[in-house]
Amino acid sequence: MPGHYYILVSLALFFIGTVGALLRRNALFVLMSLELQLGAGSLALLTFARGLGDQRGHVVAFFVMALAAAEAAVGLAIVVSVYRARKTIDLDAISELRN
Amino acid sequence: MNVILAGPSALEKIAFVILAIGVLGGALVTITRKNAVGAIIALVGTFCAMAGLYATLSAHFLAVLQILVYAGAIMVLFIFAVMIVNKDDAHPIALRGLFVRAAGVLATGYMFYRVAWIVVRERQTDVLATTITLPIPGYGNVASIGRLLFSDFLFPFEAVSLLLLAAVVAGVLIARPTRPGGATNSGGVA
Repeated sequence: MPGHYYILVSLALFFIGTVGALLRRNALFVLMSLELQLGAGSLALLTFARGLGDQRGHVVAFFVMALAAAEAAVGLAIVVSVYRARKTIDLDAISELRN
Repeated sequence: MNVILAGPSALEKIAFVILAIGVLGGALVTITRKNAVGAIIALVGTFCAMAGLYATLSAHFLAVLQILVYAGAIMVLFIFAVMIVNKDDAHPIALRGLFVRAAGVLATGYMFYRVAWIVVRERQTDVLATTITLPIPGYGNVASIGRLLFSDFLFPFEAVSLLLLAAVVAGVLIARPTRPGGATNSGGVA
């Protein structure tokens, strides 16, 4: 398939992830939306790597994957810790730093 | 070798359409579910379809890694977090500040529309049009990616391994429950 179809799928996926991160209040769903955004970025990287015939894009996508694993570990630990302390993970309810 | 003139085969088109629908449909289901477990199952489906897209891009190593790391390890972490937290959203969409959020969604939607327009306009350029040419032999398999990782990218590779170690230690430290001595870590890590 020509590369621009892959880029369009990647753009749509990133948009869905952005909408999820903006609209959901549950911290778990926001973390899932972030994973969607990272996946969309990897897809675009691999598409351009294929177009250029350059495998360094694969290596960067590999690093993105490791980064996503680290982010999920720390993010979910924070969610669990906040839930223990506050009994809620509603992001609108955890707003001490807002004002 | 004029592979470009051949164009994608019918099978390739069908596979791409099915996988793209799987990715986008799974992502939509993920962000609209009230139930967190249902959203996680949809997310696993999304990542499996994305691994299929990687495979059609000849990124075989990354496709396998996507299933192992995302659909395996990260989703298990999410399942465990849901097991501890387990709260369904009564009102999944935030109502407070809805106007500001809607404005944000509209702005990002417009931005993505503009970028998509540019991508469609530039679809004849070399990078985007030559995706169907045959890549170099061994493109995207474990041997060639591993050789690249341990030569040009050795320092970033080791840095990422250190990052993962730090993230695991930090995760254990932050999520540790109340200690027997009575001190809690709710205010910060002691």
